[in-house]
Amino acid sequence: MKAWRDPVALLAVPAVAYLLLLYALPLAWLLAKSIIGPGGLTVQPYLDFFADPFNWRVVWNTLSVAFWVTVACLLVGYPAAFALARAGAALQIAMLVAIILPLSVGVVVKAFAWQIVLRRDGVVSQILVALQVWDEPQRLLFSEAGLVLGAANIFLPFMILPIYSVVKLIDPRLLEAGATLGATPLYRFARIMVPLTLPGVVSGVAFVFSMSVSMYVVPSLLIGDRFQTLSTLTGRSFLFMRNEQLGSTTAVILLALAVSVVVASGWLARRLGSRT
Amino acid sequence: MSFLDVAGAEKSFGAATVLGGIDLGVAQGEFVSLLGPSGCGKTTLLRIIAGLLAPDHGAVKLDGQDITRLPPHRRDVGVVFQNYALFPHLTVAENVAFGLRARRRGASETREAVTRFLDLVHLSELADRSVRALSGGQQQRVAVARALAVRPKLLLLDEPFSALDRKLRETMQIDLRRLLRELGTTSVFVTHDQDEALTMSDRIAVMNRGAIEQLDTPEAIYRRPATAFALEFVGLSTRLAGKIVASQAGQVTVDTAFGRLLAPASFVVGAPVLLAVRPERIKVEPEGAYALKARLRDAVFQGSKVQLHFETPDGDQLMAETSDLPHGLPSPGSEMKLGWAVTDTLIYPAP
Repeated sequence: MKAWRDPVALLAVPAVAYLLLLYALPLAWLLAKSIIGPGGLTVQPYLDFFADPFNWRVVWNTLSVAFWVTVACLLVGYPAAFALARAGAALQIAMLVAIILPLSVGVVVKAFAWQIVLRRDGVVSQILVALQVWDEPQRLLFSEAGLVLGAANIFLPFMILPIYSVVKLIDPRLLEAGATLGATPLYRFARIMVPLTLPGVVSGVAFVFSMSVSMYVVPSLLIGDRFQTLSTLTGRSFLFMRNEQLGSTTAVILLALAVSVVVASGWLARRLGSRT
Repeated sequence: MSFLDVAGAEKSFGAATVLGGIDLGVAQGEFVSLLGPSGCGKTTLLRIIAGLLAPDHGAVKLDGQDITRLPPHRRDVGVVFQNYALFPHLTVAENVAFGLRARRRGASETREAVTRFLDLVHLSELADRSVRALSGGQQQRVAVARALAVRPKLLLLDEPFSALDRKLRETMQIDLRRLLRELGTTSVFVTHDQDEALTMSDRIAVMNRGAIEQLDTPEAIYRRPATAFALEFVGLSTRLAGKIVASQAGQVTVDTAFGRLLAPASFVVGAPVLLAVRPERIKVEPEGAYALKARLRDAVFQGSKVQLHFETPDGDQLMAETSDLPHGLPSPGSEMKLGWAVTDTLIYPAP
């Protein structure tokens, strides 16, 4: 039976209609805004955008912050997902609550909280001085490191949860089987756990990267105007500069970057996965 | 000194003692089954031998080396798991190659071993399939090939046939036994299925509540069960409760619901006992002397033989198997004479 004849497909109609009306249409309008000039179709806004070195800096800022946030979330989230999946029932519930509950606190509130944490006399600075990593208190607020630190905290659940849901389904006997076949713990991890958790890692990376590449409030509050990303630039173009063409151009570039990075990482992961 | 030597293995989980000081010796090339009901500790013992679980006390020696504290990947003990635990992200051939690659064997050696062992389990055509596309029986054979490809000193099998249907199970039991014999692999096999244990084993360890009740050849276990539990767990039998009324010269007289019966044993007069006879040792309607008369409750036709169940008081069981019924199937309710040799009588302290 063809898919479109299956009456079950009708169940998707409300969702498709909603997305079409409120997402696809505005998106198409946005794209159109960026390529339609006073004299018809044009790629001039894109040429203008890439002709300006400041804009290259903005693209670089966007990608590097998103990259480091994703790396930080992966490094912290991967082991956390294992701990969560292998914890006893009561501890698991407590951990899940601890991960999910902060999602109900608004991003703005969290970003303001991080402002306090990252100040010169904030907790992070105090700890690093106490550990003698730093000689004197320093301000992390309004620095890239501070932004990565704060953003990674906010997006961490979106890395942990997809990996957790994959780890939970992995039969622990697979590792035992690997051990009885003579595989060292490291070999078992690399050849059994990593390939089997790859789908979770790919979706976690896709979530965190696409959220951090497009975040607006967090950089506005943690680093300020002097550090522009594609989304803050988009916001400024629409809100302050009233330049709809620049705003729609940067928005389309941001979308294209995010989609291509997410698609490419998924493709890469599948290739690596099929080769092990 | 056995090839595999488990001495005084003890394991408790919290307050529950799962293994209470087990000793087990397995000779090189031998196939020993651990047979018992679920919860008897057989899988725990298997996991201790594999190194997947540490015993609270006791030692495990393999080929003269104390491996009690050795992690599983340095033991050279292969395991076929109950659910096979195949690597779902790898093909059939890659699953078989896993152990060889983990041990950093050369590429050509690995390829040869994979080809050979896939051939031995008749899966050569499926080498490049995903293991997820295989049937239960095929998965089981991949698991066996994977465990054997590294040529472990010892192979442990944890109920590897329990997920297969009966017919397939029987052919695979014979195939596996032949394969292990050809390779000379020392094996310990965990099962709760007595038929499986009787068919495959050189020796059987009958386990109950964390202890080995009897360790002997299948024939000895069937003919001379050492304990009432072994009698009950392996094979069918007539079981009559009774009390010793006389004892002399290695023979006792037992008072049962069916009168007085003789058994070769020494017991104190007055002791409560359980008297048992294997069903095929009982002669139905014998010429001359007989042991007792009983009323037939059921005659079950089983092809090559007929199973006769007789009416008994509660708790007792009286049954006979015969292939020789000259007058056809007797009808329920008829009274029949049963007899057996005194030497075929088994007797145990009442459980």
